[in-house]
Amino acid sequence: MRNWEAFVRDRLPLPAHTPMREARIIRELAAQLEDFYREALARGASESEADAHACAQIHDWRQLALDVATADRANRQPRMERIADTVAELGQTRGGGLKMFGDFLHDMRYAVRQLIKTPAFTLVAVLTLGLGIGATSAIFSVVNAVLLRPLPYPEAERLVRVHEIVPQYGLFSVAPATFLDWRQQNSVFEHTAAYNAGSTTIAGTEGPERVPSASVSWDLFELLKVTPILGRTFTAQEGTPARQTVAIISYGAWQRRFGGDRSVLERPVTLNGTSSTIIGVMPPDFFFPSRTTEIWTPLAFDPAKATRGGHFLGVIARTKAGVSVETANAEMKTISERLAVQYPQQSANESANVVQLLENIVGDIRPVLLTLLAAVGVVVLIACANVANLLLVRASVREKEIAIRAALGAGGRRLCLQMLAESTVLAIAGGGLGLLLAYLAIPAIKALSAASIPRIADLSIDLTVLAFVVGASLLTGLIFGLAPMWHASRTTLGHVLKEGGRTSSGGPGRWVRNTLLVAEVGLSIVLLVGATLLLRSFAKLTSVDPGFHPERVLAFQVSLPNAAYPEPHNRAAFFSTLLEKLDARADVDSAGMVQTLPMRGDYVLSVTFQGRPAPPPNMEPSANYRVVSPKYFETLGVRVLRGRVFNDHDAETSPNVAVVDQAFADRHFPNENPIGHRIDVGNGGTGLTEIVGVVGSVHYEGLDTNPHPTMYVPYRQDIFSSMWIMARTGGDPARLGALVRQVMREIDPALPAFRLGPLTEAVTESVAERRFSMLLLTVFAGIAVFLAAVGLYGVVAYTVTQRTQEIGLRMAIGARPGDVLRMVVGDGLKLATIGVVFGTAVALGLARVIETMLFGVTPFDAANYSTTAMVLLAVAALACYMPARRAMRVDPLVALRQE
Amino acid sequence: MMFSAELKKGSTEMLVLSLIEERPRHGYEIGKLIEQRSGGRLRFALPTLYPTLLRLENRGWIRGRWVEKAGERERCYYRLTPEGRRVLDDQQQTWNAYVAAVNDVMGTGRA
Repeated sequence: MRNWEAFVRDRLPLPAHTPMREARIIRELAAQLEDFYREALARGASESEADAHACAQIHDWRQLALDVATADRANRQPRMERIADTVAELGQTRGGGLKMFGDFLHDMRYAVRQLIKTPAFTLVAVLTLGLGIGATSAIFSVVNAVLLRPLPYPEAERLVRVHEIVPQYGLFSVAPATFLDWRQQNSVFEHTAAYNAGSTTIAGTEGPERVPSASVSWDLFELLKVTPILGRTFTAQEGTPARQTVAIISYGAWQRRFGGDRSVLERPVTLNGTSSTIIGVMPPDFFFPSRTTEIWTPLAFDPAKATRGGHFLGVIARTKAGVSVETANAEMKTISERLAVQYPQQSANESANVVQLLENIVGDIRPVLLTLLAAVGVVVLIACANVANLLLVRASVREKEIAIRAALGAGGRRLCLQMLAESTVLAIAGGGLGLLLAYLAIPAIKALSAASIPRIADLSIDLTVLAFVVGASLLTGLIFGLAPMWHASRTTLGHVLKEGGRTSSGGPGRWVRNTLLVAEVGLSIVLLVGATLLLRSFAKLTSVDPGFHPERVLAFQVSLPNAAYPEPHNRAAFFSTLLEKLDARADVDSAGMVQTLPMRGDYVLSVTFQGRPAPPPNMEPSANYRVVSPKYFETLGVRVLRGRVFNDHDAETSPNVAVVDQAFADRHFPNENPIGHRIDVGNGGTGLTEIVGVVGSVHYEGLDTNPHPTMYVPYRQDIFSSMWIMARTGGDPARLGALVRQVMREIDPALPAFRLGPLTEAVTESVAERRFSMLLLTVFAGIAVFLAAVGLYGVVAYTVTQRTQEIGLRMAIGARPGDVLRMVVGDGLKLATIGVVFGTAVALGLARVIETMLFGVTPFDAANYSTTAMVLLAVAALACYMPARRAMRVDPLVALRQE
Repeated sequence: MMFSAELKKGSTEMLVLSLIEERPRHGYEIGKLIEQRSGGRLRFALPTLYPTLLRLENRGWIRGRWVEKAGERERCYYRLTPEGRRVLDDQQQTWNAYVAAVNDVMGTGRA
């Protein structure tokens, strides 16, 4: 037997009744239908005959609804009375506060039933919303993880980063003596700590390994307010040069290298060839300064020997309670400017800068992320406009039903609430889908942005993101629900009857639909313009000649511990053996080395010129400084323009020589040959250096920056303990890895080769942030254009259906299919053109926003705008063409017979 | 012989009221009783009868209550309220007087 209550509920519209009253009416009608059914069975009818008999009892449900509404008038109007009744009823049975909830659930249930009846509409609407909300939620989760979540230290808002400001370089690392003065003289910080991040060779059972490490002020952990889970942190004693060799390790290192063994404390380990003791293990979620840091050792310098010239310290501090960042900034500037006056030779014109630690980490990426969030917000608006249009079309189709409900006593407000319930149900479904899409997108975003966005490893869907999705869904539900609500509130029975039961295609409904469509097209133009600008920037950027050939080059780092390689000649010997051995292998075409890898990090020194007046202290020009092996230029494919590059005779004891690049020559020797000139590199410790050659410029700072002047010196004349080795091969550079390790083992089994990878990765990484924003904006623009096309298609298709008779009439009096096609496509394109014009104007206004994200293209490039407009109009034409073809095939006889 | 809707319309309320005068009855039962007692000549479809019940209840003449009787499903039983009883008496008197008057006019009563 069928469920008679459901049978009645699905057929009997009782919008003006309270849920309880409606339930009673449905129940009783159902009970009576069931009686008819049972009686028929008792008479010997089959089940299906009995069912048909019972169903036949009510032919005209609308009439019945009208009759019930009339008979039961006391229970529906006025509304206030009805609410009072229900509240009273509920008060007797369940307590008063449930009334609103009951009404709400009732409306929602009705909305779900209505939506299930039209699966195609519901599917399109939910997919559209899901796409929009999903994209927004994904980007918001990035914004949340990167910009909003506090750093994982207690009272992290009081943590600040302090930089020196050096006239030639801007924000700069801090010199040890300056740090000691800051620490002593400031009154705004609770703690001030310095750190120097690097890497340490740790001797393990499986050979030596190079791991990220940091030497830190002894009280750094106290400053961060983090205590170890095992052992202790450093003492003040250990922070002096006469320190014991102690180390603290990360939780990860403890687990991986020592199996979580608690006896690890007081156990000797060999760090950089020296025996040290592990005194503490930090908690699992602790990291500083980078996520990968595994070992912390005490940072110590003798105040008597600390210098002001070598800037290599990072400084962080915790402000005293109640001290603002601005106050701290002002005081630190005052102190530094006083020091600059006190030490004019080393610190002239220097100052200091204080920013919140979080701001220091994410400040650069903030505008990019906010731009993306705004872009994705536009996608959501387009999705809203689309769904609003769908709802409007649906509302016009359902005009008759709505009018009848209005006639049955449902007030405008009641109808609005029901429309709103429908939008809410759609928004919730779309939000659910969006959340799922965002969840699925997170691994992709992480992979795409790992190299370019700080803190992205923390990306996850947390309560904040959930709250955002719920909020965004409900807000979108409200936005796209407004138009159909407004439409419903104006529907009257008389109006519909006048239309002869036909749905309307003119009037205010049409006006709203068209406006939404124009807005949609306009917004997609804005995104499309932004995306093409970024795309073209990216294309220009990646086609920049970096000045070297990174293809088929393997790069890795080697660091020589002081214990085993105390003297420069020890180090030089090691590196020259390594290069020789690599060069000798058949798979290696050429091997070279440099202390700083292109595109990753910089090394800048000041330079003065013999025979030219000395600039005031700290105002000397500066240049990139690269310490290289003779075959560096050949290995990287850097062109030699004039003179010579280095050879094996440029040794420790031979005269100092340098090679400069074209940018250096252009800047400092605009009208003369630099070869033969002598320069003083750094602060004059090494004497004068003669320029012997000029090479092509290399984009060391990245493809988007003009090459800075660069000077090269042979590695034997300024030997570093840590170098990047590069080997060029004929095939896949990754396959050289085993060979490199084998060669390293042959020379010194205690030394690891680390950060091994193709040099092309360095180039790829340098454009990763741009690729991230370019790809995302392109995806968003794609979604936007797609949604706009779907919206246009939907509206034109609907109009064609509505105008079938008119089209039939036109064809009957002689219009040809081509005329109809032109008419339909023309009408659609008219709207699209208005949208394009409006959108282009908005895009021009907003172009400045992404100006900083551009490279090599101006935000006001006319060709860009016209191409974009053309593309969108073409898409629009296609979207109109499909329904127009249907219009062309209208058979005048069939169309007119429908009248 | 069937009667026109016009004719039936005037008497529906009175019929319903009088049927529940002796004891409370549920909606389906009322419909069936009308059919039986009229020998099938009067028949009120559900879409007519149910709004009538609602209307009478809204006027306070009858009162419905959901009751579960032994061996039966729960049903809404309608009983006459005191006001309903007064209205029924009025209507019956009026009806009798009307029928008598009609008969007098048509001369059938004296035949």
